[in-house]
Amino acid sequence: MSRMYDEVVTVVENRPLTGGHFLLSVHSPRQARATRPGQFAMVRLPGGLDTLLRRPMSIYDLKAAVARTSVGGAKSRVAGHRPALQRQRAPEIIQLLYKIVGKGTRQMAGLRPGDRLEMLAPLGHGFFPEDYLAEARADDEVLHVAGGIGIAALLLAARELAGQGIPQRLFFGGRTKEDLVGVEDFKPYVRATVLATEDGSRGHCGFVTQPLEEYLLRNRNKKFLFMVCGPWLMLEATVKLAQKYRHRCLVSMENRMGCAIGVCLGCSIRVQGTGHGAYERVCTEGPVFWAEKVVWGKERMSRVRGI
Amino acid sequence: MSKGRRQKSEGRNQKSGARSQHTGKTTGRASGSKIRQSTADPELQTPNFVPTIDTEIAGVHFQNPVLTASGTFGYGKEFAHLIDLNRLGGIVVKGISAEPMSGNPSPRIYETEAGMLNAIGLQNVGARRFLEEKLPFLRTLKTRTIVNVFGYSTEDYVRTIEILNEGEGIDAYELNISCPNTRCGGMVYGNDPKLTEEVVGASKRTARRPLFVKLSPNVTDITALARAAESAGADALSLVNTFVGMAIDIERREPRISNLTAGLSGPAIKPVALRMVFQTARAVKIPVIGIGGIQTAEDALEYIIAGAKAVQVGTANFYAPGTSLNVIVGIEEYCRRKQSHLYELVGSLRIPDALGADS
Ligand SMILES: Cc1cc2nc3c(=O)[nH]c(=O)nc-3n(C[C@H](O)[C@H](O)[C@H](O)COP(=O)(O)OP(=O)(O)OC[C@H]3O[C@@H](n4cnc5c(N)ncnc54)[C@H](O)[C@@H]3O)c2cc1C
Ligand SMILES: Cc1cc2nc3c(=O)[nH]c(=O)nc-3n(C[C@H](O)[C@H](O)[C@H](O)COP(=O)(O)O)c2cc1C
Ligand code: FES
Repeated sequence: MSRMYDEVVTVVENRPLTGGHFLLSVHSPRQARATRPGQFAMVRLPGGLDTLLRRPMSIYDLKAAVARTSVGGAKSRVAGHRPALQRQRAPEIIQLLYKIVGKGTRQMAGLRPGDRLEMLAPLGHGFFPEDYLAEARADDEVLHVAGGIGIAALLLAARELAGQGIPQRLFFGGRTKEDLVGVEDFKPYVRATVLATEDGSRGHCGFVTQPLEEYLLRNRNKKFLFMVCGPWLMLEATVKLAQKYRHRCLVSMENRMGCAIGVCLGCSIRVQGTGHGAYERVCTEGPVFWAEKVVWGKERMSRVRGI
Repeated sequence: MSKGRRQKSEGRNQKSGARSQHTGKTTGRASGSKIRQSTADPELQTPNFVPTIDTEIAGVHFQNPVLTASGTFGYGKEFAHLIDLNRLGGIVVKGISAEPMSGNPSPRIYETEAGMLNAIGLQNVGARRFLEEKLPFLRTLKTRTIVNVFGYSTEDYVRTIEILNEGEGIDAYELNISCPNTRCGGMVYGNDPKLTEEVVGASKRTARRPLFVKLSPNVTDITALARAAESAGADALSLVNTFVGMAIDIERREPRISNLTAGLSGPAIKPVALRMVFQTARAVKIPVIGIGGIQTAEDALEYIIAGAKAVQVGTANFYAPGTSLNVIVGIEEYCRRKQSHLYELVGSLRIPDALGADS
């Protein structure tokens, strides 16, 4: 496990994107250097007025220290984006891509350059190449499947894989075109991007799993490795597809978190196993799990259990 | 290993001043005047005054009165990268049962105003694995190790303590009696004086170490339970555990927590917990440890002035891992400013005479 740091970091930029999404850049060299793909941070405004717990946010991207940070569009992309250069200069900036959904994210949206943020990072077991690289090399392609803000968990993995010369493809779905943020950032790493929106405002009209299944049907002779992040129902549907067509699948899970360092056991999800082994912590054993490890559906059904 | 550790800590005690421990109980009114009156005027302060902030509970010496609360600090090691564990007064580890347990379905936690609800379901590795995998690390620390114990029957508690008795480097047990007794129709031990006496008595007879009893706040009169635990042999009382609460998702008309009800912790509970600590400290002779919503040294000092000889930091560890160390520093600063040793502050609340007769 990489080392985590609890720091008060300084906001460099908090850029509004479409549909209530923001790209937050903070200066934090130690945390940035320690970060691996698929890991996350816990963030909170100092003295957080009406939020108590820190909020989990995927570490979307890392940047070398440049006065003007980039991302969000092809035009503004800086050299730090290219794998070769990325390795030359140690990253100092952590970028979080987030969407306003409640109190905490609304507070975050008010952050200005120079503001301070409490941040614990990097956290969790992410898309660590040692888990899947051998497999990815043997496969034809890695398929990234993102639902909404789930996209944030995948960019660093895509860059890592691109550095290894592994072909990739992105399937990205949202409710509307405003949700499809960050697509440009994936362009250098993927062969193609397939978009879907529920309202048909961009790309395929419907769920992203529909064009995904068509692609799988057209390529039945190929072997894929899935990397998936998104809302629960979308994860579940994607995992079903992967299993139906017999492809291996890594999922980045979400759950409410108390501590994010494995002590409160608030984030535990049902996994294959019995007794004490029936639960694993999204913050520590995860957020990335092999799909077959997770017990799908069950927790939702047992939501109300009585005392 | 454990021996070396003890010697280390004894050496430290001597350095911190060989004064006699404050063991007697202070009643609220009498001790207010014990604080040096010079405190109001900074010019009258002794410039070299070095306050002692160590404390003693049931024969266990703590280098300072700040402990971390059970279930909020794992088995200690999880925080090793974040704070210097050797500076803590003590670590109370996650509740341990004889057998490993898996806990409740998700969602298990929910944030509320200035607090959080949890229904973790006491997931833990079990007593044997605790001894093998978790205790060796805790033994390397200068910090005291207290093991929180729970069960669903009196035999469960006794069996867990029997296993833990074999371990080396445990300084005390803390009995979590906020659990339903499955043999008595699910009645919570800590809500009934008779059940409390039964489980505390049986545990005390088995325990080879001091026994702290952690009280549930979900009762009408906390002092009745406190006295029951004391009379059954408790060496100290920790209070409080979480308050039973609930939250509802009105869109789905479903409970926010799978277990339906859940324990409320965090700053929201502090005033109520403080009142209970105050009442309990006056009702029993054994030492009291204050718990509930502590975020700052000021919070901790309120508990101490109300009568607690030590405090535990819980939920704050989640959102501000440095809290316990900040609390220690803040208590030390306060003692210096007030020219008081910690033991002089315990139960030093000044109560107007007209109100003093009863709480
Ligand atoms: C590992 C991980 C990575 C994440 N990465 C991102 C990201 O990169 N970008 C992004 O926008 N969001 C991400 N999320 C979701 C994000 O944490 C929530 O949207 C956020 O906590 C909502 O906080 P709020 O105060 O605005 O909402 P509120 O609804 O007011 O939050 C109330 C409580 O519910 C929790 N909560 C609400 N929604 C979620 C959720 N989906 N997952 C977990 N906890 C939730 C909050 O943390 C808080 O404790 C991630 C979640 C996890 C677990
Ligand atoms: C997630 C969580 C898990 C807890 N687990 C335990 C436990 O195993 N045993 C116990 O006695 N108390 C447990 N507690 C209660 C705390 O130790 C403490 O008494 C309570 O949270 C009040 O203090 P606080 O407001 O500082 O958190 C737990 C609390 C939380 C929030
Ligand atoms: S969030 Fe506390 S254990 Fe995962």
